[in-house]
Amino acid sequence: MLYNASVFRSESGEVEGVFAAARDVTERKRAEEEVHRLNEELEQRVIQRTAQLEAANKELEAFTYSVSHDLRAPLRHISGFSKMLTEEFGSTLPPDAQHHLQRIQEGTRRMGLLVDDLLNLGRIGRHEVKLKATGLNSIVNEVVDELKPEWAGRQVEWRVANLPFVECDPALMKQVFQNLLSNAVKFTRTRSQAVIEVGQKDQEGTPAVFVRDNGVGFNVKYADKLFGVFQRLHRPEDFEGTGVGLATVQRIVQKHGGRIWAEAELDKGATFFFTLGASDKTELQTNAATVGAKT
Amino acid sequence: MTQRQIEILLVEDNPDDVELTLHALRKENLANNIHVARDGEEALEFLFCNGAHAERSMERPPKLILLDLKLPKVDGMEVLQRIKADERTKTIPVVILTSSKEERDLVKGYGLGANSYIQKPVDFDQFRQTVKSVGLYWLLINQPPVSDGLPCTAEQVSGAK
Repeated sequence: MLYNASVFRSESGEVEGVFAAARDVTERKRAEEEVHRLNEELEQRVIQRTAQLEAANKELEAFTYSVSHDLRAPLRHISGFSKMLTEEFGSTLPPDAQHHLQRIQEGTRRMGLLVDDLLNLGRIGRHEVKLKATGLNSIVNEVVDELKPEWAGRQVEWRVANLPFVECDPALMKQVFQNLLSNAVKFTRTRSQAVIEVGQKDQEGTPAVFVRDNGVGFNVKYADKLFGVFQRLHRPEDFEGTGVGLATVQRIVQKHGGRIWAEAELDKGATFFFTLGASDKTELQTNAATVGAKT
Repeated sequence: MTQRQIEILLVEDNPDDVELTLHALRKENLANNIHVARDGEEALEFLFCNGAHAERSMERPPKLILLDLKLPKVDGMEVLQRIKADERTKTIPVVILTSSKEERDLVKGYGLGANSYIQKPVDFDQFRQTVKSVGLYWLLINQPPVSDGLPCTAEQVSGAK
């Protein structure tokens, strides 16, 4: 019960009347308690579900890892014995049989790349991000240099702007550029003069790094598929690839608390942007740890 | 007693891997004096001249051990640990040749004194090249300490157990 009482006095201070009221608030109290209880229950449930999700993700990651790891051995055997067959008996086989053997080897090679890419993706998921102030230009230069064999004999113009120093895991950041730049090299293959640009742009107050090319691009209709594992927007006979590269890049960027997106037009090139999230070191670290556990 | 000098001890449980490795070594004429141990226990018996290999002498240890990690009975890490913990075998180069590139295996392997750690490539040409390089390096290029292995005495045999 809620009680309320007031005394009414005249100007001189005499008591003129008394007001007293008693209200039954049982209903209100009950409702308040119910809301409180529901809130607590909800919070408990969120904690529980998050833990379940994290456990499921961890399990999935471990599963992916061990499957791809155990797949390597039989794959090695297929590769080895088919190669031996070709080398030792190839000349006595009819052309059809030789062709089939070649397809086996090509299939094995592709599966090998896939397994290794998947293993790498799994490793990144479990990798603890070690932040260090890093100049992005040195990473880009290193990667461009390493990619040279891939664009040998072609006209490629590299336009690399002055890039910032950022807090990032240098080994992981190198993988980001390895993927983005080798994609740019790959998808400009049909251009007589390829232009690949690396720069930075202000994106609503946060600096974003971008990689732009004048290659074949893609239809934005499929942009949501871009970062999914095994998702490819090109035919394998046009452009080779495992469909794991951009998924890897996204995972790394997310682990740094940032985000990645792309703009493109079919046959008019593509631009990939990414940010690296919060600049505060500790926040970034916890952020990265949470994202890492959840992805 | 005449005993064939074993140059390479290959510790590998998978018969397909044994065949492919031997094939690669044969191409380089490195497969003549090789012994294959199919599990960790046999590898230790071979090295310490006991059990099934009690007739062997420790005077002539292998020049190189190629060691897989996932092995029946005694696993590769334990074999490595036993080799490197014993005065008589610790100078034999051990090359871990495995499917795994797990960081904790790498750290543990080197921590226990492995001389090299190699992940078997899926592509057979690369695998062959790797095995060839390893064989040539450790058997021909590398200079081992003067071999002064001692014959197995009963005492040492029990010590090794």
